[in-house]
This record gives sequence, structure tokens and C-alpha cells, in this order.
Amino acid sequence: MRVAPVLLASVLAFAAIEGAVFHTGVYPWVLSPDASTGYLETILRNERERPKNGPQVLGIGDSRMLLLPRLSNEHTAETGYTFGTIATAGSSTRSWYYMLRDTDPTARLYRAIVLAVESYDDADKWGNEADNDADLSYVIARLRLSDLWEYSRSYDAPKQQWKAARGIVFKGLVYKRDFEDFLLHPISRIRYANLSRRDSFSWNYGYSGPPDTVSDFQVDWEAKTVTAPPGVDPGRADGLRTRLVLPLPPETGAQSRYMKLWLGKIYEHYRGSPTRLIFLRLPRGGFVRPDQPRYNPRSSVRDLAAEPNVTLINEHFFDSLERPELFRDELHLNGPGMDRFSIMLTNEVSRILGPPR
Amino acid sequence: MLFNTPQFFLFLAVVLGLFYISPKPLCKWILLIASYFFYMSWNWRFAPLLLSLTAIDYAAAIWMERVEAPRRRKLFLVAGLAANLGFLGFFKYYNFLAGMLAEVMRRDPHAFALAIVLPLGISFHTFQSMSYLVDVYRREQKAIRNPIDYALFIAFFPQLVAGPIVRAREFFANYYHWVPPVSEEKLRGVLWILLGLAKKMALADQFAQVADSYFQHLASHPGAPAALSGVAAFAMQIFFDFSGYTDMAIGMALLLGFHFPANFRRPYLAFSITDFWHRWHISLSRWLRDYLYIPLGGNRHGSLMTYRNLMLTMLLGGLWHGASWNFVIWGGYHGALLGLERGFGRKHFQDSPHWLIYPFRVVITFLLVCVGWVFFRAATLHDSMYVIQQMFSFHGKGILIPAWLGCVLAVSLVVALLEEKFEWMERLARGPAWAYVATVVTLLFTVEMLGVTEKAVPFVYFQF
Repeated sequence: MRVAPVLLASVLAFAAIEGAVFHTGVYPWVLSPDASTGYLETILRNERERPKNGPQVLGIGDSRMLLLPRLSNEHTAETGYTFGTIATAGSSTRSWYYMLRDTDPTARLYRAIVLAVESYDDADKWGNEADNDADLSYVIARLRLSDLWEYSRSYDAPKQQWKAARGIVFKGLVYKRDFEDFLLHPISRIRYANLSRRDSFSWNYGYSGPPDTVSDFQVDWEAKTVTAPPGVDPGRADGLRTRLVLPLPPETGAQSRYMKLWLGKIYEHYRGSPTRLIFLRLPRGGFVRPDQPRYNPRSSVRDLAAEPNVTLINEHFFDSLERPELFRDELHLNGPGMDRFSIMLTNEVSRILGPPR
Repeated sequence: MLFNTPQFFLFLAVVLGLFYISPKPLCKWILLIASYFFYMSWNWRFAPLLLSLTAIDYAAAIWMERVEAPRRRKLFLVAGLAANLGFLGFFKYYNFLAGMLAEVMRRDPHAFALAIVLPLGISFHTFQSMSYLVDVYRREQKAIRNPIDYALFIAFFPQLVAGPIVRAREFFANYYHWVPPVSEEKLRGVLWILLGLAKKMALADQFAQVADSYFQHLASHPGAPAALSGVAAFAMQIFFDFSGYTDMAIGMALLLGFHFPANFRRPYLAFSITDFWHRWHISLSRWLRDYLYIPLGGNRHGSLMTYRNLMLTMLLGGLWHGASWNFVIWGGYHGALLGLERGFGRKHFQDSPHWLIYPFRVVITFLLVCVGWVFFRAATLHDSMYVIQQMFSFHGKGILIPAWLGCVLAVSLVVALLEEKFEWMERLARGPAWAYVATVVTLLFTVEMLGVTEKAVPFVYFQF
């Protein structure tokens, strides 16, 4: 045997099989719908397959973008718009770009994209969001070899850059956990993936939110304490404590750089298209801490607002929802809160867009 | 620079490239510089130590060869061995002895301790040097005149940090009659490297997670199933880790035109402890036999002396692994088992049993080996006793090895059994190209899909 041809054939065979299984839809077909990638892929597939009659509006965000399309679409006769959502729990702005790129490749499918952001001030967070390695697990099936440079360079830490680059080339490395789980129960996994393909649309669009509230919790701003009511898991107070009474993260500008990069890319995708980008600031919680991050006049969304076809919903539009009885934890609206949020958002978006032409 | 990192593969590619494009007289320089670069990439401060030991052994061997008077020859041998054992003793055993002294004097256990960092691979390269000195003394090996040649023998990067412990005559037989590897050897080299990488990343590192979770949190995992699976996981970790490293070392050496002896022959298929030691860390067993057991008298002076020699050899073999009573007990435990087998009649434990009995013997041997591994892995003697007690407690539930890893292990066992019967890995490079390609692709997928890639986990034997 000659060395070079045999080794070359080995490498090519590996690349061909790796490419055929992981760089196409073969493995994503059996991904666990509960894993990050499988969950995101399920949501994107549902949106791709959703019948789109009449003018469409698409919502995107994380788990707090609790738009209920079912409720919004009950008003389609009045508003003229049909609402869809690809909001995904745990997803980030970086992931939204790749999700939108693949859901709306021509940038002409929707009259508006509604993007839910946490802050109009690009408030910094504890931990650099640019180095969030969970992002790779969410969007790995969306990434192409041509994204290698841009995606991996979007991480700040060299270790994360390397991990991202390696993952884009050898996607199996990112699917590893899912694959190990698949090896254990291949038949039940395939069944579950099929079930998800069949029913997940109704799971998502029929969701109505839990009834829990945080109204019985006590927050003492002076003493910086959060007290859970008797009989309630004290662990529920931990999330509120972290969000409400711990010091704000220092201002480094890292979040602003990150948001400008990825919101900028989303804007570039829609530049010149008839699609309007509408930003909203999410309701901050059932309790709002008195020390809010500093006003940032040059934040990512405020800069973008100067561009054509970009609209910022009034920052305080959802302030009326910031009541303990409408939240189930420190971040998320409960069922009644989601109902109100959806109706308010539907009406405001419809007002901004005006009657469909 | 661990073998299982991209940096190392880049280094290897550069070394191989330079080695093959350079004129022959430069090749030894390239290998020596690469070996020192590899060594210094861990801790450059230890380079003078390696260099000093090399110089001492080099000079001692030459002087030993020059003089004829037996007493003077012995003096040079003792001086050379003392230098090696002195360095090894100081770096590896000083704190162990200082701790014992403090205990005897009823002082704080750290009263005489020093902050000593163990130089990488010191146990391996000192043993290699000592075997060279003894061979020269016995006139079984000519003293090497060229210091570069000798320095390369000691520092050769594929086996510098964890063996196999290569003898001078094996190394220099290759070195002085070097011929470029033929296609088959190059293909075999690549295969060994990939096999070692797969063993390390997909098996050793996965089992390490199970073993660590057990041994680091013993109280959280009471009962026999947890203890047995935790210990079995460590047994798999240490085997796949060390044999993976050795496979890679053998593969790299093959690519450079050197032939290293095998260091493992499927040790967990051994049917007795005697058989186990013919299959496990063969280069160390051979070293202990030739430079310790036989010089002590071997089996030439009656049964009692044979048992004594066997026990001493295994105790020192245990101590070689690390400065702790646990290693001494591990060595003593194996010495006792070897002694018992010898007592019952060597023939029963050296000749392969009937195929119907073979599986039972293999399982019993594996269990006995696992009991020994408890001393090897547990942090203290107290922990070791606790784990052994749990292993045979016959209660509890919860096997710690995940089912998928169990399945992978089952596949590995089938591969090992086939390899035991057909030795197909050796033949693969001579077989049809499709079989070679299929094996390489399988190994690459194993690394990709099952390997621990979050961080490069150091090899267990690097600490020895």
C-alpha cells in the first residue's frame, strides 16, 4: 500500500461521512427535542412549515419573549396580521441572527420581525455574553463552513474561538452528548423525535403559561433581603435575590459591543427589504430594582433606531405588567401576564405597521 | 505539551517534516532539539537536570569501559547509579521519607518537607540510564562515544515521559543502522497513534470521570455495585490511559524509523497474576526482572530466597510508581499473589488453561487486579480499606458506569478478544486498503464522538 493515497483516502472518507451525517439534515433528524440544538431545530422547523397566509409578523427572543401566537392570532381579523414565533429559551442575540438568516433567507417573508431585548441601554451582565459557549450548542445545525471565521471570531476568549472553530468543522464534537444519549436508546429517541415533529407545533402554539405568582414574596430594598412566603420553596427566593439585591455588574461596554455586532448583522440582513425591525424592551420583572443601569444614548438599539425600517417600542410600554401577580419567577411572566403581554404587543405592532396593504 | 493536544500534533508534524527533508547528519540534531524542546515545554527549569544526568551517565560508561580493574569499574558503576538514584530519591522520595522521620520524631508531618516539583518522566529516564550503565558494566553494551547519540537515547521525545523503558542495545540497533521506514511501517505508525488517541480520549478519559467521581466522593457512593463499578472504571482508565500513551509513542517512533518493544498485551485477558505481569507494562517488568530480580538471585537459591526476591522486586516496583505506602502495599500485594501462584505450581499459572475454564480464570484475575488498583488509586490507606470493604459488602445499588460507556467497553472487549486471536492490528497495514481506511475512519469517529474534548486530560503515568 502507498502511504499518501491511503492516508488521503482515509481523511476523505472521514470527511465525507462526517459531512454526510452532521453537515446535512441526517443527524439533526434524530436530535433529542429536549437538547439545545434539537429544541431550536424543532422551533425553526415548526416556523418553516407553518402555513403563511396573509401578512406575517415573527417574534424572536429568549424564554421571556412570551408572545402567545394563539392569542395574537385570535385578533388577526382586526389587525390583519398573523403572528409566529421562534423565541427560544436560552437563545442569545448571536443565535437570533443565524435563526433569522435561515428562517427568512430572502428577508422578504415577514412584514415585521419583533425582537425582544432585555435593555435599551446594553446593560452589562455578570459574565461576558460574547463568550457564552452554550450558543454553539443552539445554532450548530445552522452554521456552515463559510461561517467559520466570523462565528469563531465573535468569541472574545481564544479558547472559545478555538472551540467554536473546531465545532463548526467537526460538528460531531458538538453533538457528542446527544449522540451518547442516542446510543443508549436509539429506538425511543427516534420515536420521540418523530412525536416531536408531529405534535410540537401544538405544544408551542397551545401553551398558556403557569398560574404561579411571586406576589407573596417580600423584598426589603434597604436590608437587601428577599423573603419567601411560608410553605414556599426558599430556593425560589434565590433567583429574585440574585436579580434584585446583588450589586449591578460593572460597566465595561462588552455587552454594547456584543449587541452592536449581532443586532447590526440582523439589520444588515434586512437592509433594503420591506421587513420592519421592531424592538421591545421586556418587562423587567414583578419587582423592579430601584438602581437601574445608566441611560446609554449610544446603545445598539438606540443607534439602530435612526435607520429606516427600524422602530423601538416605547421603553416603558410594558411597565404596567411589572407587577408581582403577573410574574411566576424573577424573570418570566405567568399565564395571565403572558396573555396581557401578547395582546398589548399585538396591538402595538399592528399600530406601528398600520393596516396591511 | 500533552500527546492528546493539537499543539503536540503540530509539533509532531513539524518534527517529521524537518526530519525527512533534512540531510541525514542533521537528523539526530533535529530529534535532540525537538526532544529538549518537548521536555522544556513542560518546565524548562529541569533541562539542566536532564542534561547533568545525561553527562554523568555518559562519562561514567566511558570510564567504566576504559578501565580494566574490576573494583574501579564497579566504582564508576556505583557512582553512576548513585547519581541517578540520588536525583530520583531526592525528587520523588524526599518528602515521603521526611514525613516518616517527622512521624518517628512525633513532629508536625510537614516539619521537614520541601516544596519539590517532580521532574517530568524522571522515573522512566533514570531507569533507562541505569539499565545502560549496568549493561556497559556487564559488557553487554558498548559505551556510546558520541554525546549527541547518548543524549538522544535518554531524551527521545516519544518515550521520554512515560516509556516504554527502552534498552540501549534496542535503541542503538535502530539508531546506528537506521533505515527509512517502509510504507507499511508508516501506515502502522499512523494507526498506532490513532489507536492510542482513541484509547486515551474516548475510553480512559471517560472512565476517569467515573473513577474520579467515585474515589473523590466515597461517602456518597456506598455499597458494592458503586464500589465495584468505581474500581473497574479506574482499572479501565489506567489501562487505556497508559496503553494509549504507549501506542502513540510506538506509533511516533515507527514514523521516525525506530522500533519500540510492545508494552502491553491485553493484560485484562490474563488468566493469572503471573500472566498479567507478562502483559502489563512489559518494559518495566522486564527491567525489574533483569536488573533487580535476577541480580538478587532470582530463583537460583531455593524457594525461600525466590519468594523473598519476588517480594522485594514487587515492593520496589510498587515504590517506583510513587512515594506512598499505598504503592508499597500494591507492590507487596502483587508480590504475595505471585508468590502464591508460584507456591501452587508455576505451570498452572503460566500455561493457558482449557478454553472452558479460561473465562472464569480471566474474571478472577481481573477481580484480583482490581483489588490491587484500589491501593493504587485511593488517597489513603484508610480509603483503600473502606473501598475494599464496600466491594465485598454485597449490598447497595447504583452502577456508576453509564450504560453507553458499558456498551463501548463491550465492543472494546470483543476487539481485544479478536486481537488476542488474530493480531489483526499488526497485519492491517499489510492487508487491503479498504480495511485500513475503514479502521482509520472508525478510530477518528471514536475520538470525535466519544472522546473527552472539553480539556486535554494529562496521562496518569506522567506523574510517575
